[in-house]
Amino acid sequence: MKTRTKTIAVFLIAGLLCLSLGATVAFGIDLGNILKVGGIALLVNQFGGQIDSFITKTLGERNAAAQGATKVVPILSLGAGGYIGAAQIVGNPDSVRRVKAVFQVEGSIGSFRPRIFLPAYVDKATTTPERAKGVGVSAVIEFRI
Amino acid sequence: MRPHYRLPLVLGLVLLGALAAAAAFSAASVATRAVEYDGRPAAEVLVGDMPVIELRTSAGGLTPMRRAGIVAERLQAAIDAQPQGAKIRVASISHGQGLYADNRLIVAVYDAEASAHNSTPLGLVQTWRDNLVRAWGGSAQSVAPPAPAAADSASVAGESQPAAADPKPAQTDWTGTAQKWVPIVSVEQSGLSIGAAQVAGPTAQVEKVKAVAELGLSFQSVARIYAYIPTSSLNVTTLDRVQGVSVWATGDVRLVKF
Repeated sequence: MKTRTKTIAVFLIAGLLCLSLGATVAFGIDLGNILKVGGIALLVNQFGGQIDSFITKTLGERNAAAQGATKVVPILSLGAGGYIGAAQIVGNPDSVRRVKAVFQVEGSIGSFRPRIFLPAYVDKATTTPERAKGVGVSAVIEFRI
Repeated sequence: MRPHYRLPLVLGLVLLGALAAAAAFSAASVATRAVEYDGRPAAEVLVGDMPVIELRTSAGGLTPMRRAGIVAERLQAAIDAQPQGAKIRVASISHGQGLYADNRLIVAVYDAEASAHNSTPLGLVQTWRDNLVRAWGGSAQSVAPPAPAAADSASVAGESQPAAADPKPAQTDWTGTAQKWVPIVSVEQSGLSIGAAQVAGPTAQVEKVKAVAELGLSFQSVARIYAYIPTSSLNVTTLDRVQGVSVWATGDVRLVKF
């Protein structure tokens, strides 16, 4: 039984590696970027509480900290170069609890820079991502992909 | 009594006792009911079969029935946490009065709702507090003096009686929400930008927002940090944050390049 499980695991890992290699070749996706995005998202999920405290403490020194329901989740920014990092969200406590990530869409039209924040959660019934209502962004820390 | 009847009898009595104890200690259920007031729709929140709160006005685009649903959810959570009763207290909040079960905000009362009951926010919330104590149990705490209409809740807390002198900031009431566009001033090491930002949050809080201050810092295009601070003044250098309000979208143009 153990041998069979090991064999399945080896095939799964090999399959995933082949898939990611195929993706990098076919679509020109940098494997390093995939690892960076995944790694930072994982770190943000793991240390969200500490990052939240850090942001609150830093802003608190200028009496500008958000109080009440806050949380730190991964943020993926697209449109003006890719960025991945952590976003502190604030808003309706029930919605804040459900949010899993924030997507930021930004652009540049001449010197005009529009940005839209899309806090998202996964609807358990339909397993599709949906925009969380009553939640917005308070602070962002992100790194170029 | 024959000896072999004793065991089932004792077990039955123990079971009955357990059931009675469970019934006594079980949490009361909270429900809502649609009613009419002067021919207009209103809604009641009931604990067991006793009406404790009646909402007669809409707020933030929510009907009285929807508001009652939100209040009922909060109340049920509070009762589930403490079935035997809690400290029911009234405390001043921004522009109104709040009814709290321990530190949980159950409902906020503003002038519009109080007027619909021919009462004041304080008078109405006291009535609801007494109803809740009767239906749920627990104890009513002394009432804080009403907040001055334009005063900030944090400043009022310092002048209040112990019930309202909670060191924690007043909880934000999410019964009604609103959004609006305000000016944004963005200060980064590369320059100063101005534009507009869409903010959203509880209606009373959103009304207070006059501008958003954005503080930005970037490290050689490798990393960047932004903070968005909705402020109650157009003078964004004071950073007087309006709590409970968040930023949804921004758009700005570079005004000065450092």
